[in-house]
Amino acid sequence: MSSPQDSAQDRPEAERTPWRLLTGLLAEQKRGLVAGVLVGVAWAAAKVSIPSLIRNAIDRGIRGNESLLKWSLIIGGVGVLAGIFTGWRRWLAFRESRTTESRLRERLFDHIIRLHVSYHDEAQTGQLMSRASSDLQQLQAFVVMIPLVLSNLFQFVAIIILLVTSDPLLALFALVPLPFVNLSARRFNGKIHPAVMAVQNRQAALATVVEETVSGVRVVKGFGAEGVQSSKLAAEADQIRTVSLQAARIRARFLPAIDLLPSIGLIAVLAVGGHRVLDGEMTIGQLIQFNSSVLLLIWPMRNIGMMLATGQRAAVALQRVQVVLSTDPEVGNPVHPLHLPTTADTDVGSRALGTVVFRDVTFGYDATRPVLEHFDIVIPGGRSVAIVGATGSGKSTVTRLMLRFYDVQQGSIELDGCDLRGLTLHDLRHAVGVVFEDTLLFHDTVAANIAFAHPEASLERIEAAAKLAGAHEFVLALPEGYATLLGERGFSLSGGQRQRIAIARAILADSRVLILDDATSAVDPSKEHEIREAMTTVMRDRTTIVIAHRPGTIALADTVLLLDGGRVAAQGTHDELLASSAGYRDVLASWTHDAVEPIGGE
Amino acid sequence: MWGTPVSEEDKLDRDATKQVIRRSWQFAAPYHRTIITALALVTVWTATTLAGPVIVSYGIDDGITKHSSRVLNMAVVAYISVTVLAYVIARFQYVYINRAGESFLRDLRVRVFDHLQRQGLAYFDREKTGVLVSRMTADIESMGELIQFGLLQFVSAALLVVMALVLLFVLSWELTLLALVVFPIIVLASIRFQRDSNRAYLQVRERVGNNLSALQEGISGVRVIQAFGREDEQSRRFAESNGSLFDSHMHSIKVSVWYFALVEFCGIVATAAIVGVGGWLVHRGSVSLGVVTAFVLLLSSLFEPMQQLSQLYNTVQSAGAALQKLYGILDTVPEVDEVPGAVQLPRLGELIVDAVGFEYVPGRPVLSGVSLAVGVGERIALVGPTGAGKSTLAKLMARLYDPTDGSVSFGGIDLRNASLASLRMRVVVVPQEGFLFSGTIRDNLRIARPSATDDEIARSLAAIGVLDHFLAFPDGLATEVRERGSRLSAGERQLIALARAALVDPAVLVLDEATSNLDPGTEAEVEHALESLMRDRTVIVVAHRLSTVRRADRIAVVDAGGLAELGSHDQLVALGGKYAALSAAWERNQQSGAVLTD
Repeated sequence: MSSPQDSAQDRPEAERTPWRLLTGLLAEQKRGLVAGVLVGVAWAAAKVSIPSLIRNAIDRGIRGNESLLKWSLIIGGVGVLAGIFTGWRRWLAFRESRTTESRLRERLFDHIIRLHVSYHDEAQTGQLMSRASSDLQQLQAFVVMIPLVLSNLFQFVAIIILLVTSDPLLALFALVPLPFVNLSARRFNGKIHPAVMAVQNRQAALATVVEETVSGVRVVKGFGAEGVQSSKLAAEADQIRTVSLQAARIRARFLPAIDLLPSIGLIAVLAVGGHRVLDGEMTIGQLIQFNSSVLLLIWPMRNIGMMLATGQRAAVALQRVQVVLSTDPEVGNPVHPLHLPTTADTDVGSRALGTVVFRDVTFGYDATRPVLEHFDIVIPGGRSVAIVGATGSGKSTVTRLMLRFYDVQQGSIELDGCDLRGLTLHDLRHAVGVVFEDTLLFHDTVAANIAFAHPEASLERIEAAAKLAGAHEFVLALPEGYATLLGERGFSLSGGQRQRIAIARAILADSRVLILDDATSAVDPSKEHEIREAMTTVMRDRTTIVIAHRPGTIALADTVLLLDGGRVAAQGTHDELLASSAGYRDVLASWTHDAVEPIGGE
Repeated sequence: MWGTPVSEEDKLDRDATKQVIRRSWQFAAPYHRTIITALALVTVWTATTLAGPVIVSYGIDDGITKHSSRVLNMAVVAYISVTVLAYVIARFQYVYINRAGESFLRDLRVRVFDHLQRQGLAYFDREKTGVLVSRMTADIESMGELIQFGLLQFVSAALLVVMALVLLFVLSWELTLLALVVFPIIVLASIRFQRDSNRAYLQVRERVGNNLSALQEGISGVRVIQAFGREDEQSRRFAESNGSLFDSHMHSIKVSVWYFALVEFCGIVATAAIVGVGGWLVHRGSVSLGVVTAFVLLLSSLFEPMQQLSQLYNTVQSAGAALQKLYGILDTVPEVDEVPGAVQLPRLGELIVDAVGFEYVPGRPVLSGVSLAVGVGERIALVGPTGAGKSTLAKLMARLYDPTDGSVSFGGIDLRNASLASLRMRVVVVPQEGFLFSGTIRDNLRIARPSATDDEIARSLAAIGVLDHFLAFPDGLATEVRERGSRLSAGERQLIALARAALVDPAVLVLDEATSNLDPGTEAEVEHALESLMRDRTVIVVAHRLSTVRRADRIAVVDAGGLAELGSHDQLVALGGKYAALSAAWERNQQSGAVLTD
């Protein structure tokens, strides 16, 4: 499989490596695959022997004087073997192909979830999903054919040898149409593929119309736009019919021909063979043997054509998979990791842990356009800081850098005296807990979602975290309490409830630094105070970075930083900044627009 | 494995099957002729596939055995003619079957979609979006596959079994009885296989779904996973779901392995029996060698279609189930529909809610006895706790639902008697979130009024003061908004929703105010556009913000399904009731912000 590709040294890397990936995977399954091929050969031998056995039964048993029963029993015996080998061959082929698919999928998943965040910023979820689903299916469809097609190939060659040795001229007549079967099958595959793609594309277009109309039904009904949507749909439905009929015409042109071409061989056998029997140069048994042999050739011919097409598709799929697998995580562990000081360390003394220092940090998602520039802050252990700034001022970037989702381009970030890049990701991320703006809950129980950082946590610990986060009560009111399933297919919680689960998750993580990234944004303003209490509890004696829009939340922090143009524009307590910084007042005023205008308008 | 599985609850019983077939036959009325032609072609084609072995048998018996080269040549000519005929017929049958099938599906798509659109909003509240979409897409597509590959095979396989049996019986009843000894084994095995493979496949499908969800969760949750250092645990869990998918694949293979082995075995054993017993009968002179040959060659015509039938059975069944559900949609009577002889609404008028009651679920009223008269150009804010029924009331006022009791009228005409077209011209609903359709910005506005010229569209944007905002886009108003508006911010989407309303230029505007904040930049622009839109119009607004409430002429407090209070802000504050409490709570909550302006 690999030879034609490997020899082509001038081809670009991505085109050659997929086969290396495949051969590597298949090498791991060498035993199963070899067994599959061997059983396949045995199967082919059984199948190939049957026409000769029938010939013998007819010539020696029916027309001759040998025991007919003997031949009949031999055919029956071969039937038993053929049955066993058929099943066995199929079993091995599918087992191996599913194994390849399954292993590679696991590898992909493991790789993907460890890739750096900036990779995921660029990649589309749907794209990655199809790498691990439809692309791997293409591969599976190809691997399954390896033992099947190899045994078919063996069967094919064996039959041809048998026919040619028994009667070369008749064999020639019988076999003439077969290359055309193969040729047609290949041409058919080449033509039908784009036609099928066209049908799928049109179907997707129609699905978009339907999906939009159903999800946007309030707009459609509100404006009485049913007619517009109907004519869009009718146009798409017409298109589907048109392209489907085009595909049908391609099928009509090729499939009957592929079906009937072998008949030409059968006719040739009857015409040429029949006359030779009449002339006494051949027995009836041989004639019938030829006939059944030609029938046995049809499937292998078609399969080989199919394998070529599947192989091409698998190659493309494999290449796409390889591109993902060959991407290395950009953010990784250092060779000689530092160790974060703990309370037991003498040089820490009584000082609280969790001192965060941003030292002259410059960073931009696009290196030419920095979001933070020469950014300096010091947060002493156990203290809290609120970061305030207009949209796009880089508030959330601070969170992401602290978690080392990205590495700074200049300067450094230190946690308790250690450069973040010197720590293992495991240590760093256990030391920094976060509540994100959009709370993502996993399809699992409430308890497991809270115990996300420590899956082994006891229920008491989980409940304690939930109580602190103000989640305990509503969790108990859920249909199955802490065992209630959440996530897309589970129980759906309100924005505020989800947020509190996320806070409980961060509490249970019990990290020395906690980041609340816009953690109250999804909460109904009238319910905000409930969460605020939870946050006060969590922030006590813990280094906390709060990114917030709402004054009530900002006021929880010891110090407030105003971020502007990637730098710290002002720093102080909430009250100090209110008094001294016009920029701070502007930012707050733009958020509280509603409350400001009607009440203090005059 | 072949085909689509069908779940237990989807399986049709005999009556339902009959009904689906009858209904489909009626539905296909315009192409009955094409269908009948196709069926005739399939029948002839099936006969031609059986002709080959018979001709060979004739050639052997009457030509070779009797040493007649003339008969042998005739047999060869006959074989050639039959093959050519088979080719021609096969080509036509593909075309005819597909033409009938695709036309059927096209009409089904259009009819179901049109009917779906006539349903009231309550219908869409009840049904899940995903389910409705998959009825219209996946379900119909799987029927398309059936038409392309399966239907032809299913019909011809069924015909082939019957015709092969008849033919064999005519050739030799003794050998036919012999072949039929293995026949029951195949039939039983096929039935069992059909059942087991369906079950196995359903399990595979479910686990594929679970595995995809696990995959998606891992990818979209990658930031949280990494932030909490959960990569190993997540890998372990994925391996688990992946492993259980593998197991279900292996199980489904096990089911098919036995079946295929057995079918292979039976086919060869039957051949052995035919050769043995047939040879014995040849010795006795009761059967010719040609007949034995024909049997050997025809046996595959008997066993192969059996296999095909058992594999296609599930596909056909699931298509039947899908059809039944689609017919179910066509049978749903729309709740909000135009009455015969509907009248035009006047340009202006009072909007009067008279003793209105409404229930989504019978027996559980959401609103009862609500009466409210809104004057021309008046602005009413509906406030009240979540679930009190204020959104429902707003929707009733736009006839998105019909009231269960009482009536809503505009300019003295009951909305139920108004033509839907004129209703949508007079009363426009602006939903909480701006929903975008794929297409350009212009296309998105034109949803509101398909006949609008480019000029009118630009004017409607200008009317709410946002024309420049959109003209600044790279392609101006021809900018593609792409899938679900990924390029446009929430605020911009909201602006488009407002411009749509401006394009219609209605007398009454029903607004459902967004609960969440937009980013500060666009927030002001939306606010401004909204203000221009509301000018000189009757406005009903479901309010969540104090600022909106304060700008209303009158405030209606909806509580526990009834109208609790009605009056201006000052009146209601003075009243000291529910609104006064609500307003106080609101102000307290925003205190820290309010302090800032002092």
